[in-house]
Amino acid sequence: MTRYILRRLLQAIPLLFVISLVLFFLMQNMGDPIATMGGRNVTRSADRERLKRQLGLDKPIIVQYLYWLAGNDWAKADLDGDGIAETPGTRRGVLRGDFGLSLVNKKPVTQVIWERLPNTLLLMLTAEAMILIFALLIGIYSALKQYSTFDNIITTITFLFYSMPVFFFALVTMYIFAVNFKKWGLPYLPTVGMFEPTAGKTPLQVAWHMVLPTATLSFGFIAGYSRYIRSAMLEAMGQDYVRTAKAKGLPKPEIVYIHALKNAALPIVTIIALDLPFLLGGAIVTERIFGWPGMGRLFLDHVSRGDTPVVMGILMMIAVAVVIFQLIADILYAWLDPRIRYT
Amino acid sequence: MVIRQSTRLFLFVLVVVSMILAGCAQPATPAATQAPAATEAPAVTEAPSVTEAPAATEAPAERKVATFIWTQEFDTLNPYYTNMWFSSVTQQLYNCWAWDFDEANKPQPRLVTELPSVDNGGLSADGKVITMKLRDDIVWSDGTPITSEDFVFTYQMIMADRNTVASRNPYDLMEKVEGLDARTVVITFKEPYAPWVANLWRGLLPAHVLKPIFDQEGTIDTAEWNKAPTVGCGPFVFDQWESGSFTRFVANEKYWLGRPKLDEIFFRFVPDDASQIAALKAGDGDLGTFFAYSDLPELEAAGIKIINSFSGYNEGIYFNMHAEKGHPALKDVKVRQAIALAFDRQKLVDDLLLGRTKVAATDWDNTPYNDPSISPWPYDPEKAKALLDEAGWVDSNGDGVRDKDGVELVLKYGTTTREIRQDTQAVAQQQLAEVGIKLDLQSFDPDIFFASYAENGASANFSLDLIEYSDSPNFPDPDTSAWLCAEIPSDENPTGVNTSGLCDEELDALFKLQATQVDYNERVQTFNKITKMIFENVYWLGLWQDPDLFGVSSRLANVKISGVTPFFNIMEWDLAQ
Amino acid sequence: MESIAPPSKGSIANLSPDVLETPPLSLGQLTWRRFRRHKMANFGAIMLILLVLYAFGGAFVFSEAYANKTETGARLQAPSREHPFGTDTVGRDILARTIYGGQISILIGLTAMLVELVIGVTVGAISGFFGGLIDSLLMRITEAVIVIPQIFLLLVMAKYFAASIPNITILGRTFSGSVVVIILVIGVTTWPYLARIVRSQFLSIKENDFILAARATGTSTTEIIFRHILPNSIAPIIVSGTLSVASAITLEAYISFLGLGVRPPTATWGNMLEGAYNYIETAWWLWFFPGALIALIVLSINFVGDGLRDALDPHSRAI
Repeated sequence: MTRYILRRLLQAIPLLFVISLVLFFLMQNMGDPIATMGGRNVTRSADRERLKRQLGLDKPIIVQYLYWLAGNDWAKADLDGDGIAETPGTRRGVLRGDFGLSLVNKKPVTQVIWERLPNTLLLMLTAEAMILIFALLIGIYSALKQYSTFDNIITTITFLFYSMPVFFFALVTMYIFAVNFKKWGLPYLPTVGMFEPTAGKTPLQVAWHMVLPTATLSFGFIAGYSRYIRSAMLEAMGQDYVRTAKAKGLPKPEIVYIHALKNAALPIVTIIALDLPFLLGGAIVTERIFGWPGMGRLFLDHVSRGDTPVVMGILMMIAVAVVIFQLIADILYAWLDPRIRYT
Repeated sequence: MVIRQSTRLFLFVLVVVSMILAGCAQPATPAATQAPAATEAPAVTEAPSVTEAPAATEAPAERKVATFIWTQEFDTLNPYYTNMWFSSVTQQLYNCWAWDFDEANKPQPRLVTELPSVDNGGLSADGKVITMKLRDDIVWSDGTPITSEDFVFTYQMIMADRNTVASRNPYDLMEKVEGLDARTVVITFKEPYAPWVANLWRGLLPAHVLKPIFDQEGTIDTAEWNKAPTVGCGPFVFDQWESGSFTRFVANEKYWLGRPKLDEIFFRFVPDDASQIAALKAGDGDLGTFFAYSDLPELEAAGIKIINSFSGYNEGIYFNMHAEKGHPALKDVKVRQAIALAFDRQKLVDDLLLGRTKVAATDWDNTPYNDPSISPWPYDPEKAKALLDEAGWVDSNGDGVRDKDGVELVLKYGTTTREIRQDTQAVAQQQLAEVGIKLDLQSFDPDIFFASYAENGASANFSLDLIEYSDSPNFPDPDTSAWLCAEIPSDENPTGVNTSGLCDEELDALFKLQATQVDYNERVQTFNKITKMIFENVYWLGLWQDPDLFGVSSRLANVKISGVTPFFNIMEWDLAQ
Repeated sequence: MESIAPPSKGSIANLSPDVLETPPLSLGQLTWRRFRRHKMANFGAIMLILLVLYAFGGAFVFSEAYANKTETGARLQAPSREHPFGTDTVGRDILARTIYGGQISILIGLTAMLVELVIGVTVGAISGFFGGLIDSLLMRITEAVIVIPQIFLLLVMAKYFAASIPNITILGRTFSGSVVVIILVIGVTTWPYLARIVRSQFLSIKENDFILAARATGTSTTEIIFRHILPNSIAPIIVSGTLSVASAITLEAYISFLGLGVRPPTATWGNMLEGAYNYIETAWWLWFFPGALIALIVLSINFVGDGLRDALDPHSRAI
């Protein structure tokens, strides 16, 4: 197993390298970062030329990638536009731990990401926990009571939520619980943000502001997850060893939770392992609608400004997380199903 | 049971960890913003700024706090590093321009005793030298006096090679900026520069804070002050900015025009316009902006006052007039006139914009530079058909689309993905089809649309025939380089901004002339000619005047909005009793 | 098959219960029998047929030109005799738009699912069955696709290609080039999930004794994959496939929300719902009709999927 893990980690190096190259090239198609710079007017041509030169955007893409990867402190740049490169670069490159500066606000990329990551994790992990708890409950129950009225009703409801696009669900709940409840004099939830400016950022305020975004994030996903769980459970319950266990007269909970669920866990683990790393990326739509200061909004804001360093930083962080979680998933497979061997 | 428990435990631990992380970030942020204040501010003034903050938070109930909802977060708070509208308009809170503009867009002296003019000797007869007299009582929020040194330093920073400022306009047209004495600043332009009132000193950098950083680092790109301008010169002072969440400004006790009536202005960033509306309706914000017209009746029903503030934007269609590219039909003035006559823009404004604005006649509507005799092209489809027939565009093959010499009258009409623009496209497609012109609709993400010729931007590569957007680069000044022959994008000039590709020698000469006409009346005369030329030749077809829409809750009193510097009287704003 | 009555346990005492529970029916017959027993699945199947009829049959009632006809004077009208579903923000008839939008949405859902199934099952099966170097290589490619967040690929492709792909005409309908982009993007970005699931199934199933037995008797590799392992892993594939039709339809709405969906004036249920976003309180008919149609199709597809899953489950005891 140790050899397997080691081999996988070694394989990850060229993989990450290729991914970074592909992403960097894709990023060049996201629009011109200095076309409007987020403003309402087109940038003056003299300023466009100067900024391209100063930011190194006039260099060929492959050179820009090299600077991103290995830094530019060994090269010289022409900042004053006289055609002579005389100013040495200052960046050290990703390989030496320098993810560069944001083109939008000139902050170090690591700082930009770190400012948002805790907010996103708080929201996303709470939501993921809700999803798993409810999906397991619903999935297992409707597998055990297949075709019962409860199974049909709960399936219909989860799919109603599933079929509702996130943005729609978010705004409808906001209108009902925040706008109209307030209008009707009922206890109401806040619309946007993490806390009220007058109350300050207390844990209670943050929790209160998390209710609607968490619900928005969880409801749609419960349907999908509970489907997988139901299907995997039904399959496991039909296996020979479950019948054996039944025949042996083992108590039902033990059959369901130990024998069946452990075997049903394989596809579930796959899905969770695929989803977890993307929690780091945050929820673009939910964060946007509820004004939650997380990674999803950060990503979208900086993608729309063509901010290559920040976008690359976020994407590479997710890439590393995916590689790690895939490895964990594969190790879990072997643990859950001893018949699986990696050679 | 095993799996469920371990999964639950794992998730519980994760949630706890992230809660702790989020909790850690909370006390860390104030500490981070206080630290620079302590290190950057001179020792003398450190004491008051430190005592102010706790006193402010101790009695939250009495504080007058106004909450603004912004759909975009500031990129930077350094006034020279941003092009973003949301950042620029906020500068009136914590930074200062040499002069602001009032609700009639007239300049009001702020840092200077009076606006330089030929009469008071501030403007030389040839229009090249501007002498500014500074007020005696102006101070930075830490108590340091504002002097000519700050102006010279600001100029140096804008022109420094290692500073990636957003724009050098108009500083790269200057020969020099000098401080004659602490209260006198002299600016010398290389050529007479007419638009100086609108473009000079839109913000000031504190030399005593930033100069040491520049001397040490060689650039102020990464200065802490850009994110946390704790030393400012506006009626409010920066207090705290949490990325993605909020920015807080508190009253500047040392503001020379009097302490503001509000204690705090809290900006909340809500990127989604529909949730912005919901938050305003729920009373979770006192001011919002950039609404769709269709939202206005609802907002008003919720007791929110809408202020239309004209800031020079007129939505319109540029025709592809490039000598070699684009559809041949558009080179004929009759075809362009026919398009103007066939598109019922008054009905568009009445229905889609709820009649809350007007059809734009020229790109200079609502400014004194317009020829007052111009009114928009009327809706007259019969005359449009006659003009097209006259120009030789007839439907010879019976497919419903006019053609001439084997070329069908199919025009590519592109704009950005903004909803009202896409709706306008759909309406235009239908109305022009009635006179036999087919429109092929395209819409783009703004960064793709406005990308330069070099980046193959849709508005610059002449692949479209009709190009819709609005631009107001120097408001309240009428200057623009969008019609200059030298600005036509090409391989040699990949960053040109002449969207239409038109090179009309006469128009080009008039535009060059007006930029040097320092005399107001002469310049108005020139512009009257320009507007008439563009209108009669239909080089540009106005759709609607596009004012900025501000929604103000009934909690706020004394609100006035200017088109250039919306918050010019923010110190007088107050909570209604 | 109607002639084969379920044998009663008491009468044929000499047969083992296992034989009794699996009467000699072909897989197709067996599946069909089981499927019909699934009430919700039957309801879903009928609903699905009706929805397809609605979207494709409705085209004979209303022309596409009518669906795109704007009448700004009659904007935001509530449902009436003239416009049974009301009108939208530029006065287009919502009933006609849901018909033409349905065609595109159904097309997007089904095509995206097909792309996903073909790539996902192939990659997953090969990788899980052969293991070793092939597995490593395919899984690293899969990871590479997973790593690039779907939303990023969507943004890049939608931004860059939407404008450069010309409109295409199929069966007399002109489709905006962005439809093709959206289908491709959704299909190309969703298969890794399925590939991983199929692979994990193959890893597990190929270790079963019956595969060993099949190998020992000299059964060809293709036959082992397609006749023995694949049918045994069909359940999660079906769940994933049906979920992906639904998610493709909602994903299109999501992309529209980010301003990069199918370009107007071409309607889809997704971009109609997105256009209704700002009118949630003021004009319910804008979101109700496309929203209800999306909900109906998602529900019915998934019930059909459930029925199929249960019917195809080789371990299921139900006849």
